Amino acid sequence: MSTADSATIRRKSLKKTITDSRAIQLIILLIGVVILWSLISAIIERPDRYLPSPMTTLFSSVDLLKKGVLLSFYADTLNRLVIGSVIGIALGIPFGLLLGLNRNIADMFYPLMNFFQSVSGIAIFPIIVIWFGNSNTTVMIVILYTSFFPIAFNVLSGVRSVPMRYISAARTLGASRFQIIKDVLLPGAMPSVAIGSRLSIGFAWRAVIAGEMLAGQAGLGNMIFAGQELDNTAQILLGMMLIGLTWIMLDHFLLRPLESDTIERWGLVQR
Amino acid sequence: MTTITEFSVAIQRRFGRQRLRKFILGMIPFIVLIFVWHLNSIFVWLDPVEIPPIADVWGAIFWLQSDCPGVIAAIEGHGDCILTNHVSSSILRVILAMVVGVPLGIGFGILAGMNRVVSAYLEPIGVFMNSVSGIAWIPLAVVWFGVGWETTLFIMLNTIFWLLFFNTMMGVRAVPKVLIQGVQTLGGTRLDAILQVYLPGAMTSIITGLRMSMAFGWRALIAAEMIGGDSGLGFMIFVSSSEFKTEEVFLGIILISIIFLATDRWLLVPLEKWTIERWGLVWKPT
Amino acid sequence: MTGEAKLIVQGLSHHYPDEYTGESVHALDNIDLQIHENEFVAIVGPSGCGKTTFLNIIAGLLPYREGRALVDGTEIRGPGPDRGVVFQEHAILPWRTVKRNIGHGLEIRRVPKAEREKTVQEYIDLVGLSGFEDRYPHELSGGMKQRVAVARTLCADPVIMLMDEPFAAVDAQTRITLQDELNRVVMATRKTILFITHSVEEAAFLGDRCIVFSRRPGHIKTEVKIDIPREDRVWKDMVDNPKFTEARDNILRLVRSEVTNDVDS
Repeated sequence: MSTADSATIRRKSLKKTITDSRAIQLIILLIGVVILWSLISAIIERPDRYLPSPMTTLFSSVDLLKKGVLLSFYADTLNRLVIGSVIGIALGIPFGLLLGLNRNIADMFYPLMNFFQSVSGIAIFPIIVIWFGNSNTTVMIVILYTSFFPIAFNVLSGVRSVPMRYISAARTLGASRFQIIKDVLLPGAMPSVAIGSRLSIGFAWRAVIAGEMLAGQAGLGNMIFAGQELDNTAQILLGMMLIGLTWIMLDHFLLRPLESDTIERWGLVQR
Repeated sequence: MTTITEFSVAIQRRFGRQRLRKFILGMIPFIVLIFVWHLNSIFVWLDPVEIPPIADVWGAIFWLQSDCPGVIAAIEGHGDCILTNHVSSSILRVILAMVVGVPLGIGFGILAGMNRVVSAYLEPIGVFMNSVSGIAWIPLAVVWFGVGWETTLFIMLNTIFWLLFFNTMMGVRAVPKVLIQGVQTLGGTRLDAILQVYLPGAMTSIITGLRMSMAFGWRALIAAEMIGGDSGLGFMIFVSSSEFKTEEVFLGIILISIIFLATDRWLLVPLEKWTIERWGLVWKPT
Repeated sequence: MTGEAKLIVQGLSHHYPDEYTGESVHALDNIDLQIHENEFVAIVGPSGCGKTTFLNIIAGLLPYREGRALVDGTEIRGPGPDRGVVFQEHAILPWRTVKRNIGHGLEIRRVPKAEREKTVQEYIDLVGLSGFEDRYPHELSGGMKQRVAVARTLCADPVIMLMDEPFAAVDAQTRITLQDELNRVVMATRKTILFITHSVEEAAFLGDRCIVFSRRPGHIKTEVKIDIPREDRVWKDMVDNPKFTEARDNILRLVRSEVTNDVDS
C-alpha cells in the first residue's frame, strides 16, 4: 500500500515543483524586465517621448479605460479577426479539398495560388484602398485574403498525405468514391485543417493590425498608430503589449490545444 | 510534320512528360487571367483607375525611369531613376538587415540553446517578441528613429533577429546530447562542439528560420515603408495609391512578389533541400 | 595479464538526486577495479545496475566525488581524448562523411591533412568500410554505423577504449558478425578495452575478464576469468568450446540470481 501511495504523492510533488519553478522563473523574468525598463526610462532624456516608465504606461490605460475607448478598440479588433478569419477559413477549406481530390485541378491552380499567396495581404492594400477607400471593407478584404491561403494549402497537403493503404483498405471493403472521400480522406485531413486554421488566424492577426493602421479604422492597430501621431508613446507601448499578450493567450489557450487535440484524436499526421 | 513530332518528343524527353503537363496546366489560369484583364482594357467594364490596362502597367516602368540617364546611373542610384531606386532601396535594406541580423540571431540562439537556465529566461522573451508582430513595432520605431530608412531597417532587423534567435535556440536544444559527448570524448573543446555539432545540428532549423524571416520580414518591410518610410517599393505603391496611379501600384505589387518568390524558390528552398537530403535529417513541418 | 595498470578505480561510489523525487539515489557502491594494458574487461549486470553510470564516470561525462579514478596515472577530470567512447546510440555526426567522422579526433588535434588521411584509410580498411569513405551516415546500415563509431574511437588512439553496449541496437545476425570483427580488431590493435553489456554471451565471448555487477547500488559481485586465447575466439568454434560454455553458464547464474532477488523483494 505504502509504495503505491508514496509513488502518487511523489508524482504530484514532481508536477508541482516543475510548474512552480517555471512560474517562479517567469515572475523573476517579469520583475527583471520591469526593473530594466524603469531604469532605462529613468536614465534617458525625455522619457515621455522615447520610453515612458512602466507606471506611466499603466496609467495611460486607466485614462483610456475611463474614456471607454480601450475596451471598444479591443472589441473592434477581435471582432474583425473573428469574422475575417472565419470567412477566410470557410472559403479555404472547400477550395483546398477540391484541389486535394483532383490532381488536374490541383496542377492547374497550384501555381496561381502560389503566386497570389506570395503577394502578401499588406502589399495589396494600396489597390484595395483605391477600390473601396479607407473603410472597414478594405480591412476585412485584407484579412480575408491573408487567412485564405494558409488553410487552403494545408488542407490540400492534408488530403494528399492520407496514406494510400487506407484508401486501398476502404476499396477492398467495397467503398464508393464518395464514401472514400467521406470516410477516409476528410477525416484524414482533419489534423491539417487544425494546423492550417492556426496558421490562418496567426496571419489574420498581423493583417488586422496592419489594416487598421493603414486604413485608419478604430482598433488596436489604429490605437498605436494614433499614439505616434499624438506623440503619446505610452499609448503605443500599451497597445503593443496588448497585441502581444492577446496573441499569446489566444495561441496558448485556444489554438494550440485545439490543434494538438485534433492531431491526437485523428492522429494520422506522422510527426 | 516529322520535325514537329521530333521537336515535341525532344521537349518531352528533356523536361519529362509529367512536368510538362504540370507546367502547361499551371499556365492556363495565368493566361486566362491576363486575357480577361486585356479584354477589360478593350471593353472597359471597370474603370482604368480601378484596373489599369496591361500596356499602362508595362509603360509605368519606362515612365518611372524616363529621366534616368542610363544603366550605370541606375546602379549608382541617380536621383531620377525612380523605379530602380525604390527597388534597390528595399533590396539593400533586406541585405543589410540580413547581414547584421542573421549572425546575431544565430549567435545568441546558440548561446541560449546551450544553456538551460539562459534559455528558460530568454524563451518567454522570444515568444513575446515574435507575438508582437514586426508590424506592431512600426509606430514606436517612428517615434524612436523618425520617418526614414532607420525605421524600416529596424523593423526588418527586429523581425529577422527574433525569428532566427528562436529557431536556432530550438534547433540547438534538439541536438542529441550523445553527439556532443562524442566530440568531447575525442578531445573536442567547447568551440569544437559549437562549430562542429551545434551549428550543423541546428542547420535545418536555422534555414527554416531564414525562410520565415524572409517571409515575415519582407511583409513587415513593405508595411514599414508604407507607414514610416521615405523610399522603397512599399513607399512607392503607397504614394502612387494616394495619387490614384493604379498602374504604378500594380507594377509595384508584381515586383514585390517576384522578388520574394525568386529569393524563396531559387535561394532558400534549394538550400533547405540540400542540407536535408545530404545529411539525411528529418524534416519537421512547421 | 601482465603489463601496467591503465585504469585504476579505488573505492568509487556515486549518488545522484532522483529526477522526479529529488531523493538521493545510491547508484554505485565502493568499486575497486584495475584494468591492465591490452586487457579486455567486460562488465555485465542486470539493467539499472549502474554499469552505464560507471562508464560515464570513467569517460568523464559524469563528475564523481567519492573515491578515486585514474587513467594512466592521472586523475579523471572531465572527458578527454585518452578515453575514447563508443556509444550505444549512433553518436557519429550525420553531417560528416564516413572518412571525416573517423578522422574527427585527428582533426580536433590539428594533425596535418596528409598524415590524417593515411591513418584514416588504415582504420577504414581495418573495420571493412573500404568503398564507403564518402558516404553519409544515413546511407549506412546500423552495423556499418557502429563500425564507423569504433573506427572513429580507435583512430584517435586512446589509452583505453570504453564501449557502452555498442551492439545493442543492431539485429542478432549483425551482432554476431560485429563481435567476430571486434575480436579481429582487438588482436590487430592490442587496445585496452572496457566493455559494458547486458548480454552474458557477449561478455563471455569478448572479455578476458568478466565483472558481474550486482543490482543497485551497483558493486562488483564477482569476477570471472575467461582463459581462451583471442585467436580461438571465433563464433563458429566458440559454441563448442567447453571453457566458453562453462564461463557463460557460470556468469548467467550469477546475473540471474541478481534479477530473481529483485523480483522476490
